[in-house]
Amino acid sequence: MASVVRPTMLRQTCRAAASKRAFSTKLSQAFRPHTKPASALSRQAAQNVFLKDVLPGSMRVAAFHASGRQAILPAEPQVIHGNVNDAASVPTPSPSHGSYHWTFERLLSAALVPLTIAPFASGSLNPMTDAVLCGAILIHSHIGFEAMVTDYIPAKRLPKTKVVFWWGLRAATVLVGVGLYEFETNDVGLTEAIKKIWTA
Amino acid sequence: MAALRTTSRLFAASRPVFRTQVRTMATVNAAQDPAAGPDAKTKTFHIYRWNPDQPSTKPHMQTYTLDLNKTGPMMLDALIRIKNEIDPTLTFRRSCREGICGSCAMNIDGVNTLACLCRIPTDTKQESKIYPLPHTYIVKDVVPDLTHFYQQYKSIKPYLQHSTPAPNGKEYLQSKEDRRKLDGLYECILCACCSTSCPSYWWNSEEYLGPAILLQSYRWLADSRDEKKEERKHALDNSMSMYRCHTILNCSRTCPKGLNPGLAIAEIKKEMAF
Amino acid sequence: MLAQRATQQSLRRLAAGQPAMISQFVMKRALAPAAVGAFVQTRPVATQKMTAESSYDILAAQRKNRPTSPHLSIYRPQIPWILSMTHRITGAILSGGFYIFGSAYLVAPLFGWHLDSATIAAAFASWPVLLKVATKFTLALPFTFHGFNGIRHLVWDMAKAFKNQTVIKSGWTVVGLAVSSALALAAFF
Repeated sequence: MASVVRPTMLRQTCRAAASKRAFSTKLSQAFRPHTKPASALSRQAAQNVFLKDVLPGSMRVAAFHASGRQAILPAEPQVIHGNVNDAASVPTPSPSHGSYHWTFERLLSAALVPLTIAPFASGSLNPMTDAVLCGAILIHSHIGFEAMVTDYIPAKRLPKTKVVFWWGLRAATVLVGVGLYEFETNDVGLTEAIKKIWTA
Repeated sequence: MAALRTTSRLFAASRPVFRTQVRTMATVNAAQDPAAGPDAKTKTFHIYRWNPDQPSTKPHMQTYTLDLNKTGPMMLDALIRIKNEIDPTLTFRRSCREGICGSCAMNIDGVNTLACLCRIPTDTKQESKIYPLPHTYIVKDVVPDLTHFYQQYKSIKPYLQHSTPAPNGKEYLQSKEDRRKLDGLYECILCACCSTSCPSYWWNSEEYLGPAILLQSYRWLADSRDEKKEERKHALDNSMSMYRCHTILNCSRTCPKGLNPGLAIAEIKKEMAF
Repeated sequence: MLAQRATQQSLRRLAAGQPAMISQFVMKRALAPAAVGAFVQTRPVATQKMTAESSYDILAAQRKNRPTSPHLSIYRPQIPWILSMTHRITGAILSGGFYIFGSAYLVAPLFGWHLDSATIAAAFASWPVLLKVATKFTLALPFTFHGFNGIRHLVWDMAKAFKNQTVIKSGWTVVGLAVSSALALAAFF
């Protein structure tokens, strides 16, 4: 009776042991079956578990499609300070970067809507509204670029790059501001220029 | 005699084990063979795999095929069936199977959801892809590490802060209207589906709290019994904690409980604006 | 033969005295190996005492090997985030153009560039009509999209129109308005 069961059971035990070795933690990776497999057949079965062709047909392994590509800023190794019961640190409050900044940005964006439409709709091109529009677009653009710097350049990881971009942006804004001043004073003004080129 | 009896007992004990093994092999054959029966509805599942015991091996997609006629209706049923009958090494979290524990949150067919609440699309030509929650660190297969998420949850003090004693000496009472303000907030199960669907949270999860935690934050801000509203708002008043939210609204779109974290964040912003 | 008999007899005597013991003995030594194919597995289960710090160190070391799950490449393209991304890109195009023109205008005299509106208008006027319309459309589309979607964002900032269906509808409305108004601006003005 026992001898009938034997080969099948042997193979199964063998496979179970081998798969355990293949898929479990380090401790049991060092583990070897206490007694050697009794026959050459079972030894082969144990080795084959590591091979792909022994996997059932319902399991196929494919290389993960995104792994070959080079990420722009791949995630760093995970470091967690403290355990799950420690709270994450709360940043020091600064409303000028938080609520005031948000409110100002929204009011500015809302103001941009009539400022953009009015000169073209009314047809009257006042140099004052033109200057206000230019200034508003400049600040709106600056805030937009600033958000991109904050979003895409992590301060902790790339502190120097962030500083470079941050001051570069400020310098660019000042430069553009001066350029626009020149344009407004020497040329016909933004709205008029756009109108002229658009209908050319 | 005694010896004989023990022998028979041994076989009796071993037989059920043996039988299940045989049955397992049979179903595997049926699942892998699309032509097994004329009515077999074979569906292919691609599942993200990564094993911490082989850290140098890159994550890969593993393909399993199941006969939908023999599988339950939900994605979790498919996962459990794969684990039970095809590949016991597949690792995923699950607990309640009814969308109240939030354990089985994962990215199914490109959208974050709970596997237990997600029906398997019956279109067998379409192959399903199952990934872990996006941009998370992977513990194994589709199990992400949510430690930082929980740490962030703790940082917003998710409990009633009340310094004055209750008027009746027993409990803090609330009007029906005030209680109604918490509807759509208290149901959150913190499954992290919304937070890990938010691109802003992908790029800045270290400092940005993310939709789930901000919804919880609003849950305590909206509570009429809480007395630390100013402190709570103050903690959010910086460039990172809340204002990294750019109203992308992936959070509201993906929430498996039908909540609206985007709206909750907008309410906080509005309250803090003036 | 004789020795075997003697052992058998002593075993039987033992069994008569302590039936429980014999069954256990036989089970362990003779029957179990036979049943499982002489393949007795002993699992070297060893517990290891660990302090909280050392187990934390193991966890910290394991964490360093963890991969990040895929994100942008696998998330299903949906109206909320695709339009949000487009909003930022169109904003960057508009503001970038604005910045480039502003700074170029400032340094133009140094390099002898002619960036005054009259020169640009004259140069643009000499282009073929089709190219003019195409250029106008590519310039107008970011503007109209950013403008209409900006209004959508301002409505959200008042904590309105947050239902999923509303978000989807307003999204497609913005796309439609942006494309049609850009076409109109390019063709009729």
